[in-house]
Amino acid sequence: MTAHWKFASRVFALSCLCLALLSPLAAQRHDVDIAVVVHPDTPVSNLSLSDVRKVFLGDRQYWSTNVPVVLLIRAPVARERDVVLKIIYQMSESQFKQYWIAKIFRAEAATAPKVVYSNDIANQLITAIPGAIAFVDSKDVRPGTKVLRVDGRLPGEPGYPLR
Amino acid sequence: MGSRWLLLLLFTLTTSALLAQSPPQSQSPPPAAPGEPSVQSLLDRIQQLENRINQLEERDRQREAAQASIAAPPSPAETPAAPAAAIPAPTPGPAAMHGEDHVSMGEIRDTERRFPSLQIRGFGDVDFSATDQKGSISGFNLGQLVLHLASPLSEKVSYFGEVSFTAQPNAYDLSVERTIIRYDYNDYFKLSFGKYHTPIGYWNATFHHGAWLQTTIARPEMVQFGGTFIPVHFVGLQAEGNIPSGGLGLGYNVGVGNGRSSFLSKAGDSGDSNDNRAWVANVYARPSRFYGLQVGASVYRDKLTPQPGQNFGEWITAADLVWAKEKPEFLAEYANVHHRDEATANTWDSQAFYVQLAYRLPWWQSKWKPYYRFEYIHKPEDDPTLLNVLDLSGSTLGVRYDITNYAAFKGEYRNTRHGVDQPRVNGAFFQTSFTF
Repeated sequence: MTAHWKFASRVFALSCLCLALLSPLAAQRHDVDIAVVVHPDTPVSNLSLSDVRKVFLGDRQYWSTNVPVVLLIRAPVARERDVVLKIIYQMSESQFKQYWIAKIFRAEAATAPKVVYSNDIANQLITAIPGAIAFVDSKDVRPGTKVLRVDGRLPGEPGYPLR
Repeated sequence: MGSRWLLLLLFTLTTSALLAQSPPQSQSPPPAAPGEPSVQSLLDRIQQLENRINQLEERDRQREAAQASIAAPPSPAETPAAPAAAIPAPTPGPAAMHGEDHVSMGEIRDTERRFPSLQIRGFGDVDFSATDQKGSISGFNLGQLVLHLASPLSEKVSYFGEVSFTAQPNAYDLSVERTIIRYDYNDYFKLSFGKYHTPIGYWNATFHHGAWLQTTIARPEMVQFGGTFIPVHFVGLQAEGNIPSGGLGLGYNVGVGNGRSSFLSKAGDSGDSNDNRAWVANVYARPSRFYGLQVGASVYRDKLTPQPGQNFGEWITAADLVWAKEKPEFLAEYANVHHRDEATANTWDSQAFYVQLAYRLPWWQSKWKPYYRFEYIHKPEDDPTLLNVLDLSGSTLGVRYDITNYAAFKGEYRNTRHGVDQPRVNGAFFQTSFTF
């Protein structure tokens, strides 16, 4: 009986070890950082999270006098959109839609963010449109775009706020 | 011995279950040797290449379609090519089509914005009311049908318009509520000309005519359309923008215009009633540390000429405190209206405020939003200008139910007293409001 308990405790310890090793692997897919990417000529390289919020709320509409901000956002269901709505807008999907209708209705913005259906399209538009800004899964960032630091941190660095 | 095998089996099953919980991509890749690409990175690369092939195929298809269209020009009803099938593209439902521009693969190479690009949005509402006031008639009525137009004319010039149709006993009253052309120099300076909702306080410059936009059925009486407590509309020019202030998030509006017409509820659309211009200044703060908070203060100055030879100086000061979120939503606004008879130097001060609290309930898909508002107006009885304004003390208790993202149903109970020593009136009000 004692031998059985010894064996059982070893198996239990081994299981715990496996669990500890595998859990980060399982969670890894859901913790990929979301990069804030802009057109390479955009005259910023670091924004605070509240500045990012200001840009995506349409309260800051120009990077500089001649470069307007062009907002790109993924279509519903994409993880990038979920992260943006949760962390940046702090709104539900319906609140987000109502926010932009009201914003345009108040004459505070002429257009709502453009919706893109994939990170590839987002990357291509970012490289093509001066002033464009989008959220892209950090794994999908392509050459030709510029990744902004948020609160001084790049995706993958400890304390990066968008994940 | 059998129990050992049983434990081993248990261990195997536990490990398998753990592996099964992780996504398929993380099951197979063994750790890569240093200097060699991992299986995961190779899979990602394959995915990229597949996407690239899809894009190239799509371009070929579009090129062929373009060549075909040279031979036979497309009719205006034809739609652009759909995104490549292999690219995961959620079908844009009616909800996704509102308020957002959609970019397809075909538009990537055609990124130049088109001007003008007119967008039209409509708002409407249908109401029912019943009160215990003597002589009142209960029943349905159509609220305002509002059309909103927005059109960028260039990267820096935009037009905004708002027209309303209001049911009258024998006709519909068509009114231009706002018409604004604006030039954006940058975030700190935007200059516009036209007819605005006067930026006094929060409500008047935020909710405008679409009842769907506001939580409650009706506006507070101090900013009611057709009312005279504050000038709801303003014709002239306005500068607005952000003030460099770091995390304080300061912004401003400054305007010069005609002010009130001889009908004090109307703006001077067709010209001023005197040679004196009105001006308005509004400053607000949206601190970045308290996302949702807005604090503002406004000043308005005008000279009223309700009848030839009668002139009154008008000073309006207002302040507002807003928590513009839904859990909770809090709006509070105060205004003092000061009038001075230029002939006799008599002065009158009238005050009004409201406090509104609402909360979006987290249950039932967050569709329910109960609210309460208290509002108050006091006006000296002998003020000769605000003849249509009555003292008010009233409470509104209601709930908003969002039927869809673009339509809401609201029900309210109101208990109000208008005038001095008048009985309180109880009323039930219902509204369905929507945007389209």
